[in-house]
This record gives sequence, C-alpha cells and structure tokens, in this order.
Amino acid sequence: MTHEPIPEHERPPVFRAWWQLYAFVLILHALIIALFYVFTHHYS
Amino acid sequence: MHLIDWLVMAGTLLFIVAYGTWKTRSVSSVKSYLLGDKDLPWWTIGLSIMATQASAITFLSTPGQAFDDGMRFAQFYFGMPVAMVILCVFFLPVYYRLNVYTAYEYLEGRFDLKTRSLTAFLFLLSRGLAAGITIYAPAIILSTILGWSLFWTNLVIGLLVIFYTVVGGTKAVSVTQKQQMIIILTGMFVAAVMLVLKLPSDVSFGDAVAVAGKMGKLNVVDFEFDLSNRYTFWSGMLGGVFLFLSYFGTDQSQVQRYLSGKSLAESRLGLLFNGIIKVPMQFLVLFVGILVFVFFQFVRPPVHFNNANLEKVEQSAYAGTLAALDSQHEDVFSQKQESVRELIGAMRSEDEAGIEVAQQQLAGFMQQEASIRQEVKALIHFTDPNLETEDNDYVFITFVIHYLPIGLVGLLLAVIFSAAMSSTSSELNALATTTVIDFYRRSIRTRETDRHYLHASKGFTVMWGALALLFAMFASLFDNLIEAVNIVGSLFYGTILGIFLVAFFFRKVRADAVFLAALVAEFLVICIYLMGFLDAFRFPFLWMSLQFYIAYLWLNLIGCTLVVVFAVYLQFLMGGGGRGAVAASRG
Repeated sequence: MTHEPIPEHERPPVFRAWWQLYAFVLILHALIIALFYVFTHHYS
Repeated sequence: MHLIDWLVMAGTLLFIVAYGTWKTRSVSSVKSYLLGDKDLPWWTIGLSIMATQASAITFLSTPGQAFDDGMRFAQFYFGMPVAMVILCVFFLPVYYRLNVYTAYEYLEGRFDLKTRSLTAFLFLLSRGLAAGITIYAPAIILSTILGWSLFWTNLVIGLLVIFYTVVGGTKAVSVTQKQQMIIILTGMFVAAVMLVLKLPSDVSFGDAVAVAGKMGKLNVVDFEFDLSNRYTFWSGMLGGVFLFLSYFGTDQSQVQRYLSGKSLAESRLGLLFNGIIKVPMQFLVLFVGILVFVFFQFVRPPVHFNNANLEKVEQSAYAGTLAALDSQHEDVFSQKQESVRELIGAMRSEDEAGIEVAQQQLAGFMQQEASIRQEVKALIHFTDPNLETEDNDYVFITFVIHYLPIGLVGLLLAVIFSAAMSSTSSELNALATTTVIDFYRRSIRTRETDRHYLHASKGFTVMWGALALLFAMFASLFDNLIEAVNIVGSLFYGTILGIFLVAFFFRKVRADAVFLAALVAEFLVICIYLMGFLDAFRFPFLWMSLQFYIAYLWLNLIGCTLVVVFAVYLQFLMGGGGRGAVAASRG
C-alpha cells in the first residue's frame, strides 16, 4: 500500500464539477421512481 | 435441443473465452494480474460491474419472480444510485490515494491487522459460499429442464471460468464481461420482442400491459412502511442503500472491478453508469417475466413448471390424482382465458362495470389455479419429500425451451451461461486476490518475489474455483436462488460496511473498539435472522414467541448500525488510548 497523489481536479465529461454529475444522477433516479409510481397507478 | 442451438450456444461461449484468453496472454506481473494494469475505460468498468452483479440467477429467477409476484422486486435496486454517489465521494478517493489492491488493506492502516483480517475473512466466507451457488443455480435448472447431467453442467461452467480467470486474471475477467454483458442485454431484449410477437394477433402490446396491470402484476412502487415486507420503497431506499454501499464499496469482487480503472475519474464514471442503467435494466428483466405471464394467459402453461417433478409423480401412485388436477387446470385455464378476453374488450370500450366484473372473475380463476398448483406441489412432496416443489425459477427457461425458435434458444442459453460465468469469474478473482494480498503475502510468506506471488495468485484462483465447484456439486436447491444469495450477503455485509463507515467517518474510534463491536454485531445479526425460524416453531420463551420476522434487507442496516453504535460506545468507555490512534490521525 503506497500513498499516491490523485488528480482531484480532473473534471467529469459534459459537467463542470463532480457534484453536478452526482446531482444529475440522483435527479434522474428520482424521475425514474416517479415514472414507476405513475406506471403502477395507471395500470392498477 | 437442435444442432443449430448447440452451435450458437457453444460458438458464443467459446468465442468469449478464446477472446478473453488471447487478449490477456501477456499478463506477467502480480500487479497486472490482480489490477489489470489499471488501464480500463469507464464503459468497460461499468459493464464489468453490471456483469459481476448480474449472475445467471438474475435471468432465471427474476422473470419467474415477476410471473409469480409482480414487479415489486424492482424496488430492491432503488438504493443503488444513491450508494454509487456516496462511493464516488467518500470511498474511491481513499482507495486511489492509498493505491491498494484490496479494500481491506485500507483497514490495517486505519485500524490494525486483526480488523483487516476479520473483515477479509468475513468477505471470504460470504463470497466463497456465494461462488458455489452462482455455478450451481443455473446448472441445476438447465440440467433439469434439458435433461443434461448436473455433474457435467457444473463442471463445464466451472472449468471454463477457472480456465480464463487463471490465465488472464482481472483483465480477462473485465474483457470477457464486456462481451458477456452485450450478449446478455441483446438476448433479453430479443426475448422481450419475441414475447410480444407471440401474443395472439388480436391482442396488442398495450392490451398485454393493461391485462397485467388489472391482474395486479405491475406493482412497481409500494410506499407502505412494513418491516416484514421484503420489497417496498423504504426497504429498497434504506436497507438497499446499505446493502449496495457494502456490496460495491467493500466487497472485493466489485472493488477490484473499479480499481482497475485508468483513473479515479474513469472509475467514478463506471460506477455512476452502473447506477443509472441498473434500475431500468432490472425493470426490463422483470418486464420480460410479466410478458411471460401474459403469454401464458393465452397459451396454457404446464400445471407445474418443473417437468422432472411431474414425471416422478406420473410414475407414482399419485398419477391418477395428478391427471385429475391437470384436467381441472385445463378447465380453469379455458374459463380464465375467456375472462381475459372479456377484460380486454371491456377496457377497449372503456366499460368500467365490465372491467370490474371481469377482474372479479379473473381473481376467482387465479385463486382456483393457485389452489390447483398448490395441490400439485403437495403431490410432488408426497411422492418424494426431498423434491423441491418451488418452480418459479423454471418459468422463464420453460418459455425459452418450448416457445422460442431454433437459434434463439441457443442464444438465450448462452445468455444464462454468460451471466453465470461473468459473476463467477469476478468472485474467483476477488477471492484469490484477498487470499494472496490480505493473508498469504501479509502474514504467511511476506518476502517472496513478484513471480512467486503471481503463481500463488493463480494457484489460489484454482483452489477457490475447485471449492466453488465442490460446493456446487453438493448444494441443494433453496426456496428461491436469488434470495438465497442475497440473504447470505445480508448476514455479513452490514458488519463489513459498519467497519468501513467507522473507518471513514469516526476518526476517534480505534482498532480494539471497532473489532469488538464487529464481533458482537455479527453475532446479533445472525441471532436476529435465526429468530425468524425460531418463531416458526413457536419457541416457548415469552418474547421469542412473538412475531419476529424482519425482511433480510434490513439486516444490512441493523448490522451496520450496531457496529457503528457499539464501536463509538466502546471507544467512549475505553477512553482516548488504544491501538490505531496514530493511524486514525493519518487515515
């Protein structure tokens, strides 16, 4: 096990910062669950 | 099985194995063997992570689960994207900064050797058991349905996996998983399309989905908070987050996948890719099960999906009773089919009263059908109490074998074999890596050459492969295979995750406190799980005779919370000293 410097400043593609990408993933997930909820109610 | 199906299946599998072996023929150092030269891009990491998690059980059991229980199992995966984000923020930077081979190496720096060894041991225990089930699960089902020898099916899956995993190590695992995942996704998509095409000409895709909904099968989301209900939004979001944090953050079979990434950014993207894709993918697999359910509303299904069981009853004194039940089943099916068509007609004409009448009729027929199927299961049990009467795992494969055209049967069998091989290879690779790095190189042979550890890694891969094969040969079928694997994981994952959470977020807690806390928590988690069974026998002690069944997903949360609470409390009692103090400040 060796300590190595990591490029923390490396940006994600498309987004300007990692937190923006994380927010995108979580919002997308919330939308998917909302769609599932609508799907469940529509067909029940 | 037709010759063309054999050629498609064998050709697909041999191509993947040959490609993986050829691409990784130059692996010559232990770092390259265990970390794959750290040159993988994010999409390979993402597919590799998905392929590791998606075993053959996923594609055999999940459609059967949807057929029987609807789509609520999708909620099991709801916590995954949240867990992926937490891992990207907190876990990955630490692993990359310390340049570790295994997740457990970090624990020695943060705590001490015994905590590292305990955690690695818990991993070897849970994953070692799961590796056997991963081989056995598809083998038992394929051998039963296709009449193949269980011994040879186990052996072929096991030997192919051991071969390319031993030759190419981590890189071979990732390279083959990319091909396997492409085959798996293509196969499942083709199965869904074929199911739609095989519906009667007067029944549209929209009708099929609406029928499934009216028959209570499209129950994807359930917000009711019920600790004894296995799959709700809450068990998925709370229990699921802890399960996936533990599985992806501390299970070496997954950690090794993203540690072989080209950079921290590529590994993060691979995990997030998995977080986005996994829930819709699981929805697709469950939806295939729903389509199978609708298909069998128009084509009469067998009264029991495990044909081998039926043959045994037919050769017993219960053959007459079985024939009578089969005849009843046929009558109920004909009437049910009429009701389904009435339901479709009522839905098309938006006749609410007609829909309600048809739904009530259908509910009655479904109850009668379930009762007949239950009686058949009882007959199977009377014929031979050792036979497994649960047949959900046979639903999808029955459709594949009997209703898909020549060529596609071979492709779908290749899907099941690919899934079995992809998850088993990751498991063997991770088991060998943990054995070498956390035990062999750390505590047994500490000063050997790189070549020695390379050979040791290959040797341990063979050893774990042989053990998994042995376990597969002697395992017996569980109630539901996918749940069996998840339950085994849930018994240990909470404790392992608790240790890591204390390491990351409770800097003042030292080694002795977390070690003791982990032992006590693991003991309590096993007790809580076993108390579910004690209750079934009406255990005579007062508090144990109460209803005490907790769905297994919650064990992750309970185990993890117990470790954190006990560790903090014990550290408070012990005061500020103790081992790990220096490491903690450095961590």
